[in-house]
Amino acid sequence: MLSVIVSGLAVGAVYVITALIYNLMYSTSKVLSVTTGHICMLGGVFGAWFTTVLGWPVLPALLGAVAIGTLFGVVTELVAVRRVLARSDEHLWLLSTLALATMTQQAVGLWWGTEPRRFPRVIPQDFSHGAADQKFWLPIGVMVVAALGLELFYRRTMWGKLFQATSEDAFAARARGISTDRVRMMSYAISGALGGLGGFAAGQLTFAYFALGLTLTLNGFIAIAVGGLGSSVGALVGGLALGLLSAFATYLFGGEFQQTIAVGLLMLVLLIRPEGLFGARGVRAV
Amino acid sequence: MRRLAAGLAIAVALAALPSWATNQYQVHLATLIGVYWVLIAGLNLVVGYSGQLSIGHVGLLAIGAYVYAVLAGTWDWPPLLALAASGAAGGLCGLLLGLPSLRLPGFYFAMATLAFSLIVAELSLAMGSVTGGGTGLAVPGFPAPFDTPGGLYWLVLGIAGIVTLLTWNVASRMWGLALIAIRDSPVAASAAGISIFRAKLTVFVFSGVTAGLAGALFAALQSYITPDTFAFDIGLFFFVCIIIGGRGSILGPFLGTVVLTALPEVVAPLAKLGNFFYGALLLVVVLVIPEGIGHLVEIAAARIARRRRHESHVVQPDLPRLAAALARGPAA
Repeated sequence: MLSVIVSGLAVGAVYVITALIYNLMYSTSKVLSVTTGHICMLGGVFGAWFTTVLGWPVLPALLGAVAIGTLFGVVTELVAVRRVLARSDEHLWLLSTLALATMTQQAVGLWWGTEPRRFPRVIPQDFSHGAADQKFWLPIGVMVVAALGLELFYRRTMWGKLFQATSEDAFAARARGISTDRVRMMSYAISGALGGLGGFAAGQLTFAYFALGLTLTLNGFIAIAVGGLGSSVGALVGGLALGLLSAFATYLFGGEFQQTIAVGLLMLVLLIRPEGLFGARGVRAV
Repeated sequence: MRRLAAGLAIAVALAALPSWATNQYQVHLATLIGVYWVLIAGLNLVVGYSGQLSIGHVGLLAIGAYVYAVLAGTWDWPPLLALAASGAAGGLCGLLLGLPSLRLPGFYFAMATLAFSLIVAELSLAMGSVTGGGTGLAVPGFPAPFDTPGGLYWLVLGIAGIVTLLTWNVASRMWGLALIAIRDSPVAASAAGISIFRAKLTVFVFSGVTAGLAGALFAALQSYITPDTFAFDIGLFFFVCIIIGGRGSILGPFLGTVVLTALPEVVAPLAKLGNFFYGALLLVVVLVIPEGIGHLVEIAAARIARRRRHESHVVQPDLPRLAAALARGPAA
């Protein structure tokens, strides 16, 4: 039973990291990017490539994975978001990020192969520890650090305040002399770095697998939709609840109905509280 | 009158395709395009006209295919009855999916349809006693006269023609205008007295019916189906065909379907790239011509037409008279 809870928390931690990235990107650009899960996927795949194929030690490989994630975040902003936001059609960013996500997934599939590949040990540890295994605790640790770090960043640093100002009202922020384009670029870079780190930390749990991106995009989205868009507490609660739920569903009914149950949770919450558990009730756009 | 004649000529040429095609593979490809078009024509009303970005219609396609395979194969129903039943099943599932998800805003709706297609894939694997699980199901074909490749092609052509006619009727009347109004400004549409949810739900259920029909035809054409046949990628393909062809038009998505289905078959390297190619195409279209290639064709046609009209109004200066008038000078 303990191992079910721990593995549920670990899977939930990956969802929480994805949900935090969604929130971070959404706050400055009002875009829910389909590429969110693919950032984590790139972190895992490139982490495995640096360590197993190129034979790098763990620390440079981690930095490399973070760098790749950051680069991908910046590319997402430049290619799929910046030009599209200049136009007012609200659907276009969905199409452009979907296109970029598809290209990324297929390119990784062609280059890396479509089979999940092994991710090496990050910390020396043998495989006899059960629930105390690092593959569970690394993502949980990264999740805690990321959530606390983001909260400190928002509250204590100048850049964090710029993010919040842009998120509240981009026009007013620009009128006060904030370069909202640069703030948005910065938020995508930070999202990319966080995704690279999260994907690297979760690598042993998820394996280096090209199709992970789409699954994480969907489950991370379920986490924010359940928890409430824009709320860090909501992301934590939604992601962990989803992880625990799918772990227990697998334990009780077998792994065949995992996605069905996750989406059932989403529909239930959306029917009862459309703004999510911790989300602010939005004003109707006219 | 000329348009009617051209339409008739195209219809005759299409109907005679099995006799002028040089090999069976071309007939197969034309049938596949027709099957895809049955689904895309219905989906076009949802995506292109009312602006609801459904990326998970492959789930409805899979339901139609499995219903047909189980009813006609395992239960020995007459195949044409099973075809109708899979259309009904597609419509019913479209209703069940649309009731909760069509109330959601853009990205939420897209994710709900994505989740739906993943759930269908998961269930078709899990319910092995009905669907055959990962090994799949053999699918019976249609009875005579539809039992040859050419016959199946005619059946598909007939259904595609009817579906096209229906969507054209919907799109060119008040319904189409209402859907475009919902796409462009929901608030203005509801102020003009359009019942937004009902209009969206109606076209979504219609697209479910066409997706179910397309699924049955697809299964009969492939003659063997597994859960892998209905990967998320084809759902994306349908979606890309419409966006690239152009939203708010029927000809655009049709050209998109023909070109995107045939292109990877003709140019082999593109088939290897697969989704990367579709993704790149989608990105280019969204960034450069968000109205779609069909819109570009329309603009080009309008420009050519305008130039012709313009040229017909050009006044040739009467040079000898002008010279004479100048020579006479201002005094005259």
